[in-house]
Amino acid sequence: MRICEVMDRDLTALSADTTLAEAIEILTRHRVSGLPVVDGTGRVVGFISEKDIVKAALPGYFDYLQDPSFIPDYGQFQKRLKKIGKDPVSKIMAKEVVSFSEEDSDFYVAITLIRNHLKRAPVVREGILVGVVNRADLLERIMLEEEPPSFA
Amino acid sequence: MIVTVTLNPAVDEEYVVPEFRPGGWFRVSRVQRSPGGKGINVSLVLKQLGVETAAMGFLAGFSGEYVRDVLRKAQITTNFLHVRGETRTNVYIVDEVGKVETGLAEPGPYISEEEISRFLSNYERILKRTELVVLGGSLPPGVPQDFYCELIRIAKQREIPTLIDAAGAPLLAALDEGPTYAKVDQRFMGAYEGVALNSLDNLIEAVQRVHSHGVEWVIASYRTYGNVFCTPEGVFLAEFDRKGIVSMFGSGEALIAGLIVAGQEGMETMDRIVFGMAAALENALHVEKGVKDRAAVEKQIPRIRFERLL
Repeated sequence: MRICEVMDRDLTALSADTTLAEAIEILTRHRVSGLPVVDGTGRVVGFISEKDIVKAALPGYFDYLQDPSFIPDYGQFQKRLKKIGKDPVSKIMAKEVVSFSEEDSDFYVAITLIRNHLKRAPVVREGILVGVVNRADLLERIMLEEEPPSFA
Repeated sequence: MIVTVTLNPAVDEEYVVPEFRPGGWFRVSRVQRSPGGKGINVSLVLKQLGVETAAMGFLAGFSGEYVRDVLRKAQITTNFLHVRGETRTNVYIVDEVGKVETGLAEPGPYISEEEISRFLSNYERILKRTELVVLGGSLPPGVPQDFYCELIRIAKQREIPTLIDAAGAPLLAALDEGPTYAKVDQRFMGAYEGVALNSLDNLIEAVQRVHSHGVEWVIASYRTYGNVFCTPEGVFLAEFDRKGIVSMFGSGEALIAGLIVAGQEGMETMDRIVFGMAAALENALHVEKGVKDRAAVEKQIPRIRFERLL
């Protein structure tokens, strides 16, 4: 099956100069975990997920903590998040974007998403955003499809 | 790609209630729910006729999610801005016994200036790969009355043709900007001209006046099942009879979609009009909005009465 049959043809995207505060608002209002970043022509130039924003707002030593449970509250996190809220999306977005074309097979897309630990990725036509593919939608599709004949 | 703009989409709910009257408590015998708004309806028919289309505008809340979901399942490209509040619901109560229809329309969510500017940047971006823009329906609270004007101006700067299907002040303002196509209501034309347009001659005159303002195609409804088309090739009247008609709901948008599809295929003016009218008729033959498919539309072509007026 080609990915164009299961993709979500939604063009909701951010531009590189969108602030992170605005990006958070758009992510929550559209109820998605990540969005493509596009230029004025719709060309995909990056991708930003809530994970990227959380990472940017956490203190640098956080990665070295084995267990964050002794941290009393999120006061520091909130302070940093508000500070980076005025930064543009381009500052922390992933610039090397994993993207697909409409003709890609569902299996290839599934494998690539797993390999790159991704939940969502843009689908492009000649570099221009035409939709997004979600891990959950793929799972649902695979679940509903008939099993292929076994080689055994 | 054909882009449709629906600034104030709706969920249309049609309740069938025999012998409905105010003040009573009724059991609904049937309910039909569908996403509504002129632009969205045009997108749905375009898709049914196999044309690539993108729908944009504002959506909000639970009803907004529903609209998006239906469009998504129809594999229509979407670029809606989700805002606070709730997309409106339009309720129609149909009493088949008393043959009375009651309607309730909500105003829609409030759109802030910031959201309007976000919409405009999405609009400018999508225009880079657009062949035609369809603007339709009412404006939600917060959107300025001359907003269609601005959208037409932006499209014109990029030499992209526009089609408007609206009413009242937003349409009046838009006509000044000279859209390529305008679909107007006979009643609206009457108000526009300040006289009741009870004769065909009056209507033709009014339509021609709009045409002389730089609108290439003016389409005005005439009686229940007809339209007058003022085109660069002349003025035409096309009609169909009432045989088998169930509901004219959404037929105006099917007409627009049919005209667009036929135009894309390079049909002559007369064939375009007939194909558009056949799409409108096919839409009217069943309760569900939209057309079955292209073959079903083509089957209705012989039923369209067509004549040149000027």
